[in-house]
Amino acid sequence: MSLFLIVALPFFGALLPGLMNSAGRSACAGVTFTVSLAAFVGLLTNLPSVLSGDVVMARVDWMPALGLNFTLMLDGLGFFFALLILGIGLLIIAYARHYLSRDDNMGEFFTYLLLFQGAMVGIVLSDNILLLLIFWELTSLSSFLLIGYWKHLPEGRQGARMALVVTGTGGLAMIGGMLILGQIVGSYDLSVILANRDLIQADPLYVPALILILLGCFTKSAQFPFHFWLPHAMAAPTPVSAYLHSATMVKAGLFLMARMWPVLSGTPEWFMIVTTAGLVTMVLAAVIALFKHDLKALLAFSTVSHLGLITMLLGTGTAFGAMAAMFHILNHATFKAALFMSAGIVDHEAHTRDIRRLGGLRTLMPVTFVIVTLAALSMAGIPLLNGFLSKEMMLEEATHTTLFGMPWLVPALATFGSLFSAAYCFRLIGHVFLGPVRNDYPAKPHDPGAGLWLPPAILVVFVVGIGIAPFLAEPFVKLVTASVLGGEAEVPKAYFKIWHGLVPALFMSIAAVVGGLLLMAVYNPALRLWDAAPRPEAKVIFEAIVEAVARLARRLILPLHNGAFTRYAVIGAIAIVAAGLHAWISGTAAAPTRTMQPATPIAIAGWLMLVGATCGLVLMHRDRLLSLILIGIVGLMVSIGFAFFSAPDLAMTQFTVEVVTIILLLLALNFLPKRTPVESSVLRRVRDAGVAIAGGLATFTLAYHYLLRDAIGTPISEFHLANSYKGGGGTNVVNVILVDFRGFDTYGEIIVLGIAALLIYALTETLLRGPVRARLLNRKPDQPRAGDMHPMMMVVLTRVVMPVVLMVGFYIFLRGHNEPGGGFIAGLIVSIAVVMQYMASGFAWTSARLKYPYHGVIGAGVLIAGLTGIGSWFVGKPFLTSDFTYVRIPPFQEFELATAALFDLGVFLSVVGAVMLSLESFSRLARRADETDSEYPMDIDPSRDNPPPDAVQPARESV
Amino acid sequence: MISTDLNIILPETVLAVYAMLALVGAVYTGKDKLAPALVWATSGLFLALAFWIGTTGEGTRIAFGGMFVDDGFARFAKVVILLSAAAVLVMSEAYMERRGILRFEYPLLIALSAVGMMMMVSAGDLMALYMGLELQSLALYVVASLRRDSAKSTEAGLKYFVLGALSSGLLLYGASLTYGYAGTTLFSGIIQTATEGQMSIGLLIGLVLLISGLAFKVSAVPFHMWTPDVYEGSPTPVTAFFATAPKVAAMGLFARVMHDAFGNATADWGQVVALLSLLSMFLGAVAAIGQRDIKRLMAYSSIAHMGYALMGLASGTLLGVQAMLIYMAIYVTMNVGTFAFILSMSRDGQPVTDIRALGMYSRREPGKALAMLVLLFSLAGVPPLVGFFGKFYVLRAAYEAGLAWLAIAGVVASVIGAFYYLRIVFYMYFGEEREDRLDAGRSPVLWGFLMGSALIMVVGVVNLFGIEGAAQAAAATLVN
Repeated sequence: MSLFLIVALPFFGALLPGLMNSAGRSACAGVTFTVSLAAFVGLLTNLPSVLSGDVVMARVDWMPALGLNFTLMLDGLGFFFALLILGIGLLIIAYARHYLSRDDNMGEFFTYLLLFQGAMVGIVLSDNILLLLIFWELTSLSSFLLIGYWKHLPEGRQGARMALVVTGTGGLAMIGGMLILGQIVGSYDLSVILANRDLIQADPLYVPALILILLGCFTKSAQFPFHFWLPHAMAAPTPVSAYLHSATMVKAGLFLMARMWPVLSGTPEWFMIVTTAGLVTMVLAAVIALFKHDLKALLAFSTVSHLGLITMLLGTGTAFGAMAAMFHILNHATFKAALFMSAGIVDHEAHTRDIRRLGGLRTLMPVTFVIVTLAALSMAGIPLLNGFLSKEMMLEEATHTTLFGMPWLVPALATFGSLFSAAYCFRLIGHVFLGPVRNDYPAKPHDPGAGLWLPPAILVVFVVGIGIAPFLAEPFVKLVTASVLGGEAEVPKAYFKIWHGLVPALFMSIAAVVGGLLLMAVYNPALRLWDAAPRPEAKVIFEAIVEAVARLARRLILPLHNGAFTRYAVIGAIAIVAAGLHAWISGTAAAPTRTMQPATPIAIAGWLMLVGATCGLVLMHRDRLLSLILIGIVGLMVSIGFAFFSAPDLAMTQFTVEVVTIILLLLALNFLPKRTPVESSVLRRVRDAGVAIAGGLATFTLAYHYLLRDAIGTPISEFHLANSYKGGGGTNVVNVILVDFRGFDTYGEIIVLGIAALLIYALTETLLRGPVRARLLNRKPDQPRAGDMHPMMMVVLTRVVMPVVLMVGFYIFLRGHNEPGGGFIAGLIVSIAVVMQYMASGFAWTSARLKYPYHGVIGAGVLIAGLTGIGSWFVGKPFLTSDFTYVRIPPFQEFELATAALFDLGVFLSVVGAVMLSLESFSRLARRADETDSEYPMDIDPSRDNPPPDAVQPARESV
Repeated sequence: MISTDLNIILPETVLAVYAMLALVGAVYTGKDKLAPALVWATSGLFLALAFWIGTTGEGTRIAFGGMFVDDGFARFAKVVILLSAAAVLVMSEAYMERRGILRFEYPLLIALSAVGMMMMVSAGDLMALYMGLELQSLALYVVASLRRDSAKSTEAGLKYFVLGALSSGLLLYGASLTYGYAGTTLFSGIIQTATEGQMSIGLLIGLVLLISGLAFKVSAVPFHMWTPDVYEGSPTPVTAFFATAPKVAAMGLFARVMHDAFGNATADWGQVVALLSLLSMFLGAVAAIGQRDIKRLMAYSSIAHMGYALMGLASGTLLGVQAMLIYMAIYVTMNVGTFAFILSMSRDGQPVTDIRALGMYSRREPGKALAMLVLLFSLAGVPPLVGFFGKFYVLRAAYEAGLAWLAIAGVVASVIGAFYYLRIVFYMYFGEEREDRLDAGRSPVLWGFLMGSALIMVVGVVNLFGIEGAAQAAAATLVN
């Protein structure tokens, strides 16, 4: 059968149990069994070619760009594992049919089981390491579902999570290792990788790859120090434990180590890591297993111990070790699965797995007793059973292995581990089945139906069969070993025999069995000693680590993301300064192309004022009025700075904008307390100051750097300077840009300005109609107000000055085309003239005297500008083409008339309208309930010093 | 001339004109009563445009003297943007309707931001870049604070606006420095000045500031601060939108600026982007561990995912851009599904965002829980789901570009990050059964998106729906 079909059958078959769920439990199990059987038979059809030493391949390109191909390969090793997976799978399915109770959802169980089976078969048949990884993770996921199958048990849930976290993490590490391996070889195909031993071992990335891959293997195969998850995963239903945690999934790590054996093994790193981990696991788990009272926990730790044994054998890196490992995998799968299923039977019948509550089952459950005894004795390494053979080989290999330069270390530890291993096997038989019959079993034990005992019995047949006639298994094991070695070493000549003569291994074996019996004799004192000894509890540690990680994350992140804006700004500012610094350091700076300008005393004084005002502003910003005045100074100095840099237009604009802004801020201050409260600690202000200084220094350095160098290309100003008079008819380049070159932009901008002003108006209107109005009207100023709301000096001055200011505005407007000035600046100046009236003489007085609504002014401005632009269409030119001519009207001298001036008028009107509309809107908010705005320009409130109990009308004087 | 240009930007024009006409039309007629219809019409238009752009475009066309580029890369990004925007719009309709925040401006603002995003990925000039970016951002600032009566939503909008404005300022500063030292704003002109090893400090600082500004938009660490607050504060459908289309657009823009304008100086920006990527992956992974609010969690998740996408970009190769595009497409698909689930989380009609509320969700809604499990595993990048392939692509791109350290760090970060995705799974499957259970939530639209997205994560492993080829072709037009 095609390899694709063998892998695909369980996956497609996984759909069936769910569908058959309503057809009854037997149908559900039957269909699962049939699917597995089909795959099993399909596998067997490939037996002849495997036996003849061929490698069966099947290939489909999946994502060639990634190097990921769906390539399957069946050699001796793959066949061996697939046989275990599918063969034992069949027995488990039959067993589970009888094991699960009526309350369990059988369809769900078999769906998960088939998914798992498919993933496992996928692992062992993959020829592409990426494909292998995918199946690898699939086994983690499906085992997660299987372990947590009994959702009502909290142990099951925690066990499932722990298993997933540990194996999943290992799997991710393995991805890294596999990627490195693939990069070294240049292919992700196993068959290619396996042929490149020298290339891989010579690569500097060999060790990282090895460690990462071994992490994956060790987590999956529960090797020390990742052994802790397996016992907790025993909360799963027994069929799952028997299948996943003895026969298949935990062997996936071993499989991978065997698969990678030709390319990874044989180096000192491999030997040190793998052998040590295996040895430690073997001894440690055997000791723990002896003192576990839960039948499944005992078996779980014994599994860990045996996995350690196999790992150690693979670690030695010799061909004999590999052969022993393969043989033991086979033997362990048979006796351990049988033991797990028997433990399930005991649990099922006696309703407990606690060894302390069992004993004397020998007569009550004779069939189970025979099965367990044979399997356990095999595990203990008693001759004539298969466990003895592979254990003997292991001890033989151990005597030839030298670790840390100590030749006695490995044999001694191996014997020690075997001793405990024998002891727990004897305990399993002795404390559960031997001894007196008790009368306090939770349920009356009796042998189950054949459906439950037959599957383990079949396995025990293999246990005994191989044990008595090892030559039966020999050719097969050697075939598997040959594909593990992959031509890197010769298959050892050793024959599988029960009697090897009086070799050291035999003495070690005898010592282990005798020692195990002796240990059983002193079991109770030993148990007390064990219970008294302190030892780390893996589960507690695991959960503490998880909790600690979460706490650490919170401690790291909460201060970073506390919602405070300043903190975000600080982080951002530091990052940007650091990035800029990096660019500064890594870039090449050209030599300065400009010379420094001489510093005149006036310039120095100006800059000092600017710096002084800025520092003062920072230091005294809590007094808001003072800070406003200082802002004014800063603005003024900046404007003068522009003039200093030969930009009079900019200076004028900046200057007028400054004035308007300050007035706006003054209006806003009206609503605010006079002082800013202190909200931050000194330390924090120092920190902020540091960040601010860093940012300032960075900006300064940048500016200094740029000011001393010419721009790389021709500045665009050259073009404008050359074309301003010729094309636009004006010598003021800035104004010509505004009204001509970039006229369309300006047109858009005045529209936007108008919309913004209208929006401000609309917003304040809405505010004044809403609930805010009451609060605004009833707010109390935090200190007494000045007695004269409209000081006489100011009123007189503004009125006198107004015509002059208007005249200046007109003048600025007119000269704009050729000299610094223009519609924008003129608009601001005229606005200032009107705003001064508002400030000095009061809102009511001024607005009563203004004839034109500001909305209209804005509209008129936009219209005029637009019509000017449209006008050029009539002479066949594009929108906003300007034209100019010279006229002479006596008695004036010849002067220029430009359509641009008309456009400028539009700008002027829009600016006036927009500024005034928004200022007016703000000032409307400032009115309050307790004072009617006086119609008169000058008034003095005599109640200021001694406020009368009830509201008094302010005295009025008119000018 | 001009008619050719206009022809090239026809899809953008259609969408923009539609948005403006619908805005005016709705103001003068039914206003919010028209909102559901507008939602469907807008997403229908999105779909039609995606189909149009996806099927008709050929080769590379340049409009407005190089300001606007219509090439394979832009088309790929546009299709992803439009499809995800359409999906999120449709998902949000019922949710917003029920909570009374479905205003007719909402779909139109989304449409306008989509126009901005399409401009962004097609920008061939610093000015076009800025225009597109601002159009997109301004619309998003408004939708972030769509729930005006909620202090959190307004705060989110304001924070987003201020920080966004700051980033725009940085971007502008960078753009003007670049212009000053390259003498042009056209990408095709900048690339001639900006060559490896000969970058002047001015250009370098311009580049760094441009990257900082763009990093704000893709929410890469350390410019990510707005993300958790904004994700948490905005209405959930808006969060879903933030997490999908704008991210694609910003990444697309990022790639375009880096390759089209600074393609000759890969090493100069590669290291900065690699650093951003590293920080994002780790912060995203670590920060989410302590989170219980699923929206905040998704914010950190998106930061981490941006880190991975940036890893592809950092490699500076064709494979890198291809990996980035694939990653973004997969990321968007996963997020649509995940947010469909989050949108359906409610109790007594009130939205719930605490992940502890999901205790034993699998018992009540096995189908939805399973779909969410698939999505979360995919987000974590567990093989064999599609999310794994996205990660795998970027890791490989980084590795092959000699950024092995970054790839290894990426694997480590994804291990850390897997923790919090798994925790949601844990709550759903094994958590404590809660008295106050979530509503059943029978919205067929959300259900459909959730299931569809989960299905894609599973079925997509066959050949990623052929997206690899498209992404490769798209990347090839950008990297040369």
